[in-house]
Amino acid sequence: MTAPSKPIVFVVDDYAPIRRSIVRLLHVAGFAVAAFPSAEEFLAQYDPQTLGCLVLDVAMPTLNGLELQSLLAKLGSLLPIIFLTGTSDIPQSVRAMKQGASDFLTKPVGDEELLAAVRLAIEKHRARRREQAELSDFRARLATLTPREREVLDHVVAGKLNKQIAGDLGTVEQTIKVHRAHVMEKMRVQSVAELVRLIERYRINGSVH
Amino acid sequence: MSWITVVWSMNGAACLTLAAFYFVLWCNQRKSWMHLAFSGSAVAGAALTGFELALLRAQTTEQYGAILRWAQLPVWGLVVSLVVFVRLYLRAGRPWLAWTVCCVRTLALILNFLFIPNLSYREITSLRQVSWWGGETVSVPVGVTNPWILVAQLSSLLLIVFLIDATITVWRQGDRKRALRVGGGLSLFSLIAVGQALLVVWGIIQVPFLVCFALLGLLAVMGYELCSDVFRAAQLARELEASDKRLNLAADSADVGLWEWDIVRNEIWITDRGRSLFGFAASEKLDFDRFRSRLHPEDRESVLNAVENSLRTGAEYRSEYRVVLPNGQLRWMAGRGHVECNGDGQPVRMRGASLDITKHKQAEEEAARQRNEMAHLSRVFTLGELSGSIAHELSLPLSAILSNAQAAQRVLANGKAELADIREMLYDIVSEDKRASEVIRRLGFLLKKGEVQQHCLSINGVVEDVLNLVRSDLVNQKVTVDTDLTRNLPTVTGDPVQLQQVLLNLVVNACDAMAGCKAPECMLLIRTGIENGSRTVIVSVTDHGTSVPEEKLEEIFEPFFTTKQTGMGLGLSVCRTIIAAHRGKLWATNNPDCGATFQFSLPIRATNGQAQMINNRTIANNGLD
Repeated sequence: MTAPSKPIVFVVDDYAPIRRSIVRLLHVAGFAVAAFPSAEEFLAQYDPQTLGCLVLDVAMPTLNGLELQSLLAKLGSLLPIIFLTGTSDIPQSVRAMKQGASDFLTKPVGDEELLAAVRLAIEKHRARRREQAELSDFRARLATLTPREREVLDHVVAGKLNKQIAGDLGTVEQTIKVHRAHVMEKMRVQSVAELVRLIERYRINGSVH
Repeated sequence: MSWITVVWSMNGAACLTLAAFYFVLWCNQRKSWMHLAFSGSAVAGAALTGFELALLRAQTTEQYGAILRWAQLPVWGLVVSLVVFVRLYLRAGRPWLAWTVCCVRTLALILNFLFIPNLSYREITSLRQVSWWGGETVSVPVGVTNPWILVAQLSSLLLIVFLIDATITVWRQGDRKRALRVGGGLSLFSLIAVGQALLVVWGIIQVPFLVCFALLGLLAVMGYELCSDVFRAAQLARELEASDKRLNLAADSADVGLWEWDIVRNEIWITDRGRSLFGFAASEKLDFDRFRSRLHPEDRESVLNAVENSLRTGAEYRSEYRVVLPNGQLRWMAGRGHVECNGDGQPVRMRGASLDITKHKQAEEEAARQRNEMAHLSRVFTLGELSGSIAHELSLPLSAILSNAQAAQRVLANGKAELADIREMLYDIVSEDKRASEVIRRLGFLLKKGEVQQHCLSINGVVEDVLNLVRSDLVNQKVTVDTDLTRNLPTVTGDPVQLQQVLLNLVVNACDAMAGCKAPECMLLIRTGIENGSRTVIVSVTDHGTSVPEEKLEEIFEPFFTTKQTGMGLGLSVCRTIIAAHRGKLWATNNPDCGATFQFSLPIRATNGQAQMINNRTIANNGLD
């Protein structure tokens, strides 16, 4: 395996001359490339931890490009997919994009177009992985809170004062202050505003609870 | 001059004239023996008339006896020739009776020359001079009758019996007029002659022999009959001429030229219409080489083969060929004829007719042209449906070419060029370019709108070409193709484009029928083979999709029948027309489990080169303006 920082471009195409030519092009452009003649062979080798992107032919016997896309999605893969197709089939491209394809290119594809798409896809993968990391970090921090602290957190984010929270939870203001300090510390935030922003972000992106 | 001399001479002359006339007739028609028999009778009649005149004028008994003796000679001739005439002309009378008459008469003739003075009289004692009208005197014999004359009279009696018997036979055969006229007439005049002679010889009546008038009557009856034959022949000749005219008129109006080829002399007779059909001048003398020179060079061999075959086997001559007229115009002709052989089985004559079939050929050509037009239209439509697949087929090599070329540019720009890398890239570029060209060639081949070609081709090659063309379409539709192609199949004759079109249609239809299928069942089976026992190649396309309703298995081949949203409904009907033009069959059956099988048969290429050439021409119909 290459170093974690070096992204790998996976190429899957059943037609050998195209596969070879794309590998050559990417190679010259300085990318690390791994090529496979079928979706099945790619799946057998695939490591979800690898940074990079997938250049995928749509029309292939047995398992085709769109089916591989669905399969990867089910596996929770974040690998961005650039589709290559011989025909500009609109329903196919719509379906691919809806399923989160990074790009949909029609053969023959120019080098600039392909390389730009690959660079963009790798950036996307990086960003997604970063987000993914932040989210899991946030979840980890959230998981360190006690149930009482979670209740306090919810009330703080809802914009309530300590006195109100104490009233709601049936305790004294002093106790709430201690819980609140623990929450701020465990969530590693400096201000309430920062805490609210953090919670809102992940509430939008997904479920907090 | 004495009137007796005049009358008897005239009688004799009449007999001689008849004899001469019929002798000449017989000379022209040697097989007509009855004419010779009649001529013989007439000569005998003339001779008898002469002897009779001499008897009338005889002065001494010795003279009279000698004349009467020699007169038996023409009597013998007359009897024999009369018997022969009746046997030949009436085809009646008992043969044994005929032989008996002749033998007894011959016996009488022999006896006649043994007795002196003759068979009639043992002795002629005197000649009585009898006065006749106009102061003429004639000799009448007086003497002792020879009893052996009975032999001669028996012969005469038998002759009359023979004649009556022949008359009855003819009467019974239904030809009553003829029986009465010939049989009755001959019997009557014979009876008169024989009766008169008998009465004179036995001295019952005292008159000279006067049989020559009865003989003239006898000859008149025979002559009249033969004459009517001549009239009938003339009538037949007139009818034949009229019938000939009618035939010529019919032949002319049907644009048929009638001809006759005398093979021995190599002369050709042909009707005027026939001459104009072949562009021959009215006065031109024709032989086989002249006919041959009119034939289109490409058709000469087949016509000569047909003629030779006909001469060799005696079979009917038949051929279709083009004639090049002197003005360069082409004309299609159909010839037919029969060979006539002589007794040794050698062909001596060929008679036949030649028909102008140019219009028919033009119509055939027009029909073929329209069929091709239709086939082309349908082909373009089918390829239109496949355009996505074809574009994909083209995009593959183009894509590889572009990426390789651009990779090479980048390598060169980097300045880190490895020659080996560049070489590999260029190699791929070249081979992919070839592949793209191949796709275009195949496509252009099917889109081309050309004349129908007749090639000797392998049906497996056609199957492989079509599968190459639709490969990516099949991949897209997830159709697996299974082929079961029999190796070393005999070749068929046909148009490769049209046969590919048929197979393409069947494959596309099969894929459409399997549109809703899941992967494992989505299988297409293409099979080639020879039909058992018969001389045809079979190609079948089996799908596992939806079956065709039983009642529609024939209807699907009708024009404008379609189940598709976008279809024209012409595909299968055009396919059937194409296969029919290749003298094959196309039909559909449902499979026992699911789906349908479409198959077509094509006749295996004939080994006989000549038959092939003719067939090619009827299908292709080229070269006519």
